[in-house]
Amino acid sequence: MKPLGIAALLGYALLVAAAPTQLDAGWLRLGSEILLMLAMAQMWNLLAGYTGLVSFGHQAFIGVGAYLLFYVSDRFEIHPFLLAPAAGAACAVLAALIAPLLFRLRDAYFSVGIWVFAEIVYVLVSKTRELGATSGVALKSVRLVDTETFVRDTFWISTLIALLAVGGVHALMRSRLGLGQMAVRDNELAATSIGIDVWRNRFAAFVISAFGCGLAGATHFMGTMYVSPEAGFDVNWVVAMMFIVIIGGIGTIEGPILGTALYFALREGFTAWAGVSGSWYLVAMGLVAIVVMLVAPRGLWGWVHENRGWQGFPVRRVPPAPATEGADA
Amino acid sequence: MDWIETIVNGLLLGGLYGLFGLGLALVFGVMRVVNLAHGEFIVLAAYAGTMLAAMAPGVPPLLWVLPVAVAAFGVGYALQALLVNRAVRTGDPLTPLLLTFGLAVVLRNLMVETFGTDPRALDGGQFTRAGIDLFGLRIGLFPLTALAIAAVMFFALQWLLTRTEWGRIVRATSDNFRIVRLMGVEPNRVYNTVMGLALAFTAVAGMLLALRTSFTPYSGVERLLIAFEVVILGGLGSFWGAFAGGMALGVAQLLGQKIDSNAGSLYAHLLFFVVLILRPTGLAGRGR
Repeated sequence: MKPLGIAALLGYALLVAAAPTQLDAGWLRLGSEILLMLAMAQMWNLLAGYTGLVSFGHQAFIGVGAYLLFYVSDRFEIHPFLLAPAAGAACAVLAALIAPLLFRLRDAYFSVGIWVFAEIVYVLVSKTRELGATSGVALKSVRLVDTETFVRDTFWISTLIALLAVGGVHALMRSRLGLGQMAVRDNELAATSIGIDVWRNRFAAFVISAFGCGLAGATHFMGTMYVSPEAGFDVNWVVAMMFIVIIGGIGTIEGPILGTALYFALREGFTAWAGVSGSWYLVAMGLVAIVVMLVAPRGLWGWVHENRGWQGFPVRRVPPAPATEGADA
Repeated sequence: MDWIETIVNGLLLGGLYGLFGLGLALVFGVMRVVNLAHGEFIVLAAYAGTMLAAMAPGVPPLLWVLPVAVAAFGVGYALQALLVNRAVRTGDPLTPLLLTFGLAVVLRNLMVETFGTDPRALDGGQFTRAGIDLFGLRIGLFPLTALAIAAVMFFALQWLLTRTEWGRIVRATSDNFRIVRLMGVEPNRVYNTVMGLALAFTAVAGMLLALRTSFTPYSGVERLLIAFEVVILGGLGSFWGAFAGGMALGVAQLLGQKIDSNAGSLYAHLLFFVVLILRPTGLAGRGR
């Protein structure tokens, strides 16, 4: 790792450690929300940006992760913090189970297929009485947690999840699997012809993104201590993820970070500071998305990268030097 | 008898569902653009119809279909000329998809700010409540009319595309937009009229929706999902497949409602999912 990377990591750790001493609970909650959204956007981008699978149904994993955490922690008296990774793992298993079915569908078929899957899960959950049906459930296992430090600890968990998401995608893209995924993204036919298993690459990205969304979704609703089918399986989760990824720059690691910053700056700017209530911030974001698509179809970071050549998370590889000299000797 | 009535009503509802998918199928079939703002345009037409009807209470609401559809044609033409063509030009299918996604969010939330979130409906008067007895079945006059309108729309589009000069140009452009330039066709202009026509069909669907049920600015997402299901169930780009797909979904939904009163859509979704798994290219799609 380069010194700059270590410095950035140290800076992040310091910031995260110091934040609870400086900020009140409201700010920490907003911080958690931002960081978890960033993690989800990274996961959506991993799938759409690197393997070309545009999912309209990732809210399924967010909702399933949240419900699993709520149900199991209450039923078996397990501390909810311990269950967040289990919620992610359960979503990964769910994704692995439905992948063979969904991967038979291509392009728009896949996008709509997974959306319908999410709707099915949504209706089933809202019909299940043990899960509170349409009215949802409260986090009853809150009796197991220390309410004094709950907000702070949730914030720290969120910072860890965001770090794992960004660092994980970066590490993945530098690995053999990631190289294969980028090759599939750029040219599926060419990638297949050099022996890359497209199906396996997509499968890995799908399972990882489900894990991440389940983990982040469970943590998000744990923080709010209440989940309903309407909120957990809200299609607006995907709307937000798409926005962030599109505006920031699809298929880049920097893009979702930039997009998340812009998303929350617009939302908070409109509602909290400018006092413009309701949906106007969404109108503004829609307009931003339209303009970005017309002016810079690869998103803001894509534009920066093309025009300035900046790289935040280098994933470029130096090919081995061609054997010109001494090759014949 | 009860069951037959449910199935017949499902078929009638399916006509409207098919119409939801028609505009989406046309746009995708011709220019490979997935229009994510499709649902919002359905709802927008519903609001337009409701407003016009409120201004002139004496006129039968169904007559407003025509001006709304003409206006929608203009909106679609302008939308394509000003925005979507630029996105199509990038060659990446994701760009127009994401552009229409932004548009959907803008439209939906502008409607929320303009009309509020209270459910509205267009009162069609006596006509929407009337029914006729057919072979001992009680059938609503309005659903029957809606199905007839949908069938006419499908026929008209099929005729336009296969029997007219304009249809030949559209099909040629869809096949290869570079080659048609050599014949003096400007693909962008073809796309403009196609988008205009698609939104006109969509507007008709929106008006029929407003006459049938209440709606809010958020209804668009649900309609988009139905439209998608219809189009994909039928096989992308196949109009008759879409019509059949709409019927299948309509029947599944009403039968589902009969068995399980609060989860009709669940059975439509399940049907969609099962068909798609068995036939990944849809009902009318050719096998791969």
